[in-house]
Amino acid sequence: MVELIIKRQDGERLWSEKFTIEEKPGMTVLEALFYVQERIDGSLCFRYSCRGAVCGSCAMLINKIPRLACRTQISDVKDEVVDEPKDGVASVKPPGRAEGKNEVLIEPLPNLNVIRDLIVDMDDFYKLVDSIKPWINTDMNSNQKETSIDPSVQLQMERYTNCILCATCHGSCPAASRNKKYLGPASLAKAWRFYIDPRSREEDKDELLKLLDSDSGVWGCDVVYKCVSVCPKKVTPTTAILELREKIER
Amino acid sequence: MTDHDIIVIGGGLSGLRAAIEAHRLGADVAVISKVHPIRSHSGAAQGGINASLGSDDSWEAHAFDTVKGSDYLADQDTVEILCKEAPARVIEMENWGTNFSRKDNGRIAQRPFGGAGFPRTCYAGDRTGHNLLHTLYEQVLKRDIRIYSEWLVTRLVVENDSCTGLVAMNMADSDMEIFRTKATILATGGYGRIYQRSTNAIINRGFGISLAYMAGVPLQDMEFVQFHPTTLWGTNILITEGARGEGGYLYNKDHERFMARYAAGAMELAPRDIVARAIQSEVDEGRGFPEGYVHLDITHLGKDKINKKLPGIRQIAIDFAGIDPVNEPIPVQPGQHYSMGGVSSNKDGETPVSGLYAVGECACISVHGANRLGGNSLLDTVVFGKKAGSAAVDYIDTVEFSSEVNFVDLLENEKKIISDMMGEGGENFAEIRDELREIMQEYVGVFRNKEKLEQAVDAIRNLKKRSRDLKVNNNSDIFNFELVNAIELKGMLELGHVIALGALAREESRGAHYRTDFLERDDEKWLRHTLAYYTPDGPELDYKDVTITQFQPERREY
Repeated sequence: MVELIIKRQDGERLWSEKFTIEEKPGMTVLEALFYVQERIDGSLCFRYSCRGAVCGSCAMLINKIPRLACRTQISDVKDEVVDEPKDGVASVKPPGRAEGKNEVLIEPLPNLNVIRDLIVDMDDFYKLVDSIKPWINTDMNSNQKETSIDPSVQLQMERYTNCILCATCHGSCPAASRNKKYLGPASLAKAWRFYIDPRSREEDKDELLKLLDSDSGVWGCDVVYKCVSVCPKKVTPTTAILELREKIER
Repeated sequence: MTDHDIIVIGGGLSGLRAAIEAHRLGADVAVISKVHPIRSHSGAAQGGINASLGSDDSWEAHAFDTVKGSDYLADQDTVEILCKEAPARVIEMENWGTNFSRKDNGRIAQRPFGGAGFPRTCYAGDRTGHNLLHTLYEQVLKRDIRIYSEWLVTRLVVENDSCTGLVAMNMADSDMEIFRTKATILATGGYGRIYQRSTNAIINRGFGISLAYMAGVPLQDMEFVQFHPTTLWGTNILITEGARGEGGYLYNKDHERFMARYAAGAMELAPRDIVARAIQSEVDEGRGFPEGYVHLDITHLGKDKINKKLPGIRQIAIDFAGIDPVNEPIPVQPGQHYSMGGVSSNKDGETPVSGLYAVGECACISVHGANRLGGNSLLDTVVFGKKAGSAAVDYIDTVEFSSEVNFVDLLENEKKIISDMMGEGGENFAEIRDELREIMQEYVGVFRNKEKLEQAVDAIRNLKKRSRDLKVNNNSDIFNFELVNAIELKGMLELGHVIALGALAREESRGAHYRTDFLERDDEKWLRHTLAYYTPDGPELDYKDVTITQFQPERREY
């Protein structure tokens, strides 16, 4: 048996609820949430899709750390010590283990408005990402030819194309917490991904740098690498931000 | 009531590709999806997308491999389109920004895949679906195509053999709305979750397929269910065929490369149906590990190659099985993976109902026949997504929004059906769902026979009866997932019934449909497609001919 403490809200009320569930070997936090939803309380809300850490639906705060519920095992987190995050937003690693502790704290992802329970309003996050115009401009009617791309450039981009837009980085970010207009780590990582893409047009890249050259852009970052620590896909937004700063300053 | 010329149901690869094409041709097109598009199951595809890019490869060779892989059930005219258009569609995705892996000379890299005579599977590491999906989503954003995210379509409006709209529920507040359309494109993916062991996302309940079925559109070849040979033991998360494409071996508990017994030529790279049966046989005959798996070993590829070519599955094995494939073999077992069958549709995605199109996994066009080759499903989505988008635009020029259908009554009726499901007590969706999944796994799996299939049909009939008393106890309006599940469960039961009945009727073994009581393929009687029509008493089966052009059926050996 293990206990889940879930921070819940429904628009009117905000409360914390404890559910006792039967722990099975290898059980993930997502499976534990399904246990609650299907057997105890059908009103518990959370997003899900792939259950294999590739779709990015189930980001939430687990023991104060932003993580994907589907790739977090109950056995790995039930004895984690939970402290208030130092910056008031989110922690990046547990302060320690407590022998015999058998409890997992589950809360919605910070820095986004909560719709209900563990479901946050992702539209605000998507709008930030969309605002950098994350796409390649090509003429659809032109004669298409394969672009030649050096394997090393492909690998460089891969560090950023691996992003699944789960928003764990956004939920960890102290700058995003202070400034709702701050583009945030996911948008800026994506901006760099398009900046280094040989298929991006020069004029789009120039425009992108202009857009990012502000306190809500690359200069808004605290450079504390929390986003890098929490990313389930090993994307490194802070590195991207520093690279972009260098390009702007040059 | 909201009007759009075209609504695409589903925001995965085929849906987004259809929307982009319809938009390019000037239509007012919207996408409606029960999840945000980038959460679609297309993103979980790993291994790659086939295209004969090599100068010594050809579309004909690709077509031959596809037809042979299909055990000659694929329609060869549609296979021809699939393979001819493959290079253009792949290069288009590359131009739009997909980060394909590269060869040293900068060209798109290609790897060998099962059942293919040439390394023609283009890939982006082992995250090909993810990369393609994000690229198409970016192109949709660029075009500012309207997306209704987290809306569940609960009914298609079909009258006089023509589809004029749909009813959908906004999951955020449970409000129901009517959408009038001139054309509707189904791109809702597969139904993997009606099986206990499936690689599919939890959302893959096949509801879109059942919407068409309930609206009178026949489902085609539904008994052909692909079981992927290598799913991670326990969670059944996909371990890409690319692992074998890159040189991985399969071993039983006696450390024997058992594929020599089943496909001495192709070994681990035999098509999926053959490898899945081989693994299941090893397990059933006591040569697997006692918990029901065999080993997929890639340790000999070395850490560098694994990190470069297969980083995603390495991470999956670490996260979900606590095993690092760099040092240890991966425990794998077959699991449901893909539906060759689906909503009957033609080369333009047209179904027998005018104004209704179906593409991608939810459709049966039929390019995969009785067994799909790895790398052909991603290709299917972009080739036929584009074609359906284009055909739908041609069609909307010939019709107006319907003024005959009484949409107001229809909406009220749908609201009543849903409110009748709410209440205390009654049957619980999860119990019926879990029983259905067990039945499908046990009786309609890799190996089938008359007795098992009859048991399945009886048991599903019984579950359908029980489902009439389904009650949704949770009365919240905001993201009521119990309600969503209950609505979709009724569709899952219909699909299970169609699959089991089609499998019972088909007294032969072909591709993924393997009958232990009819071991041989029987072209005389069964070289034909199954069609299943909805009736309140259960599916009614009919059959139609297979289109054969250049490849005459031969015995299928590897």
